[in-house]
Amino acid sequence: MALKPRQQRLHHRARRSSLRTRQARSGVRSLLRALRSRDEEVDLQTSVQAWAAAAALAGVLGIHACAGKDEDWRAVVTFPASAVGAEAQVLRDQLERFMLEHPDVRIVRRETPDAADQRHQLYVQWLNARASDPDILQLDVIWTPEFAAAGWILPLDGFGPPVEEYFPATIAANRWDGKLYALPWFVDVGMLYWRTDVFRDAPATLEELSRAAARARDSAGIRYGMVWQGARYEGLVTVFLEYLGAFGGRIMDDDGRIVVDSEAAVRALRFMVDEIYETQNVPRSTLTWQEEQTRFAFQNGQAAFMRNWPYAYPLMQDSAESRVASRFAVAPMPGADGGEPTAALGGSQLAINTNSENPEAAYAVIEYLTRPEQMLERARVVGQYPTRPALYGRPELARALSVAPDQARRIIERAVPRPVTPIYTQLSELLQIRLHRALTDQQPPRAALEAAAEEMRALLDKVGLAPKEPNGAGR
Amino acid sequence: MRGDKRFVGAESREARLAWAFVLPALGTILLIALFPLAWTVWESLHVHDLRMPWRGQPFVWLANYAEVLTDGRFWGAMLHTAIFTVGSVTLELVLGLVLALALNRAYRGRGLVRAAVLVPWAIPTVVAALLWRFMFDAQAGIANAVLMDIGIMDRPFVWFIHSAGAWVPIILADVWKMTPFVALLLLAGLQNIDTSLYEAARIDGAGPWRQFLHVTLPLLKPAILVALIFRTLDAFRVFDLVFVLTGGGPGTSTEPIALYTFNALLQNLRFGYGSALGVVVFVVTFALAMLYIRALGVELTQAPE
Repeated sequence: MALKPRQQRLHHRARRSSLRTRQARSGVRSLLRALRSRDEEVDLQTSVQAWAAAAALAGVLGIHACAGKDEDWRAVVTFPASAVGAEAQVLRDQLERFMLEHPDVRIVRRETPDAADQRHQLYVQWLNARASDPDILQLDVIWTPEFAAAGWILPLDGFGPPVEEYFPATIAANRWDGKLYALPWFVDVGMLYWRTDVFRDAPATLEELSRAAARARDSAGIRYGMVWQGARYEGLVTVFLEYLGAFGGRIMDDDGRIVVDSEAAVRALRFMVDEIYETQNVPRSTLTWQEEQTRFAFQNGQAAFMRNWPYAYPLMQDSAESRVASRFAVAPMPGADGGEPTAALGGSQLAINTNSENPEAAYAVIEYLTRPEQMLERARVVGQYPTRPALYGRPELARALSVAPDQARRIIERAVPRPVTPIYTQLSELLQIRLHRALTDQQPPRAALEAAAEEMRALLDKVGLAPKEPNGAGR
Repeated sequence: MRGDKRFVGAESREARLAWAFVLPALGTILLIALFPLAWTVWESLHVHDLRMPWRGQPFVWLANYAEVLTDGRFWGAMLHTAIFTVGSVTLELVLGLVLALALNRAYRGRGLVRAAVLVPWAIPTVVAALLWRFMFDAQAGIANAVLMDIGIMDRPFVWFIHSAGAWVPIILADVWKMTPFVALLLLAGLQNIDTSLYEAARIDGAGPWRQFLHVTLPLLKPAILVALIFRTLDAFRVFDLVFVLTGGGPGTSTEPIALYTFNALLQNLRFGYGSALGVVVFVVTFALAMLYIRALGVELTQAPE
């Protein structure tokens, strides 16, 4: 809500600046026309026009001078991005280098909030208003289908992106209706962090993990066996997705049918519930925790295992803050009976606003930012994982990432996207509520999942996205 | 005749002048109160889903209202709002009355105490909510530490994942924050009571308890009603406290109607359905206000007799 004035301000500014540019252009045109006609015959009217035009131009240029370097004659591409930290700095450097390479393009950065929900809300407001600004959008992996179905972002196939050079899962997550709508920029995957001073190896199965966690609590005196993100928010769905894959379940099948009430899914959710109330490896507090709270518990040495994203790794290697620096490692989240080790796929994508006035220039920026060298730089500075598998054989990446690249690559190759549907966020909300009810012991796992599946199917039905087959067969 | 005419003329001129004076105010009310309201009602008769532009904005009559009335989460939210309203307002009235009676006594430093009492009320709700969240944190919170020290619990209780337990910090935070406000309103009422009435009661042989029951309470009724109106309507629209403390969880166990409306309108960007929820909330609040105003109107006209 607080964003609205800002949005309006941006709009006004955009409109004002394009108006000014147009005024300046027409001023120049009529000045030239007037000067040309002066050669042929001295016409009082045109000369008056010319002076008026000159005065107008001077005025406009004056405004320009006041407005600073806001306008010039290059194609302007706007890019909403994070305003803080190393991530903002590396992006600023990369965009500066891009402009040296492309003198005809000028990039204007728009500062946007980092919180995904707020950023999403802001984007939807802009795009609904058919704003041409910003040209480039940085999307969370779950937004691409939504924006594509709404017609807010351009298909990129026409620009000839080298899709075969990316991890297939990251491309699949960005396709809608057979077309590619965004290029994967960096990838995020769920990982298992484990203590190398407590265990010799990473657990190979969830059962093993559970036993090891219990042992660590009993003998090593570690307070919590395992921590994950259990608050009622999107993070909970990614955790559930990994347990679900471990038991061989899915949220949605390839035909777009909801299958989150399968036997495997019930087993997965029951396992999670039992880890809280039976083995008590997972503390109840975890049901109020997001990423950072789990990281604090793990880096204070209070947890034997943690499920988290790669961002936590470099932070916890800082011995000034972390008590477990150089005493932990990462592994894939283990599998269980009937499934296989699974990592939830996250990360950022770059897409182009449908109403962009400079889609070619915008694509040039995206192409530049997704080049191997730029990805390696991001990996080095902010520890973000490249979306190109070929880079995982490069020695620079081994130095840049704290995790061994072949290990990271194995985890990413196991990564599964969340359901690719334009109403993912609404489906996810329904699932979050039911998962949280089951995990907080308000509803048994089977009943919770059946209710979630029913609500999710009803929603798909209502918005006309239900799978074509009759009666939702095959569930 | 002529005199009459002049009189009528003057009257109508005066009336015109009166209208001219009132017009800006009327226009403002129209613009900032009635227009948005009418627009919300209009919006609520459409499907308008910002995230699904392919659905268009069809006019659907009362379909959104039908969905509201068959939506389990809506009824849950209404129930939670009622629980919160009754729970917090009752406690605030009782504690507020006690506080007001204490503040009404003449003693040295009374001004200071009165000012100090208002501190919780002056703290922004979001800040207060964060404080209470820390206090009720399962591991580091003072609430669990105290309860374990005095032996009521033997292990930390995770307040925010318990569907009933999560209400405790929510209601306590509201009571802590809003009781001073109620106390202030009641104190004003107490100071309006003529002290000679107490003298008369004493002469008639009434003890302190009977004085309270038969003098203080009846004469305080208008002030109590004012406090009730303010607090009920406020409590019915509770949002920030719950948003910060539990986010409506666990599951949706503490989700009040304002949070659900916010969720539909601004998170899911369902303008049609969210507007329908908004209209329902408006109608209920309006009905509550009318009820109170009727009751209060009666009290006020009777008071001078």
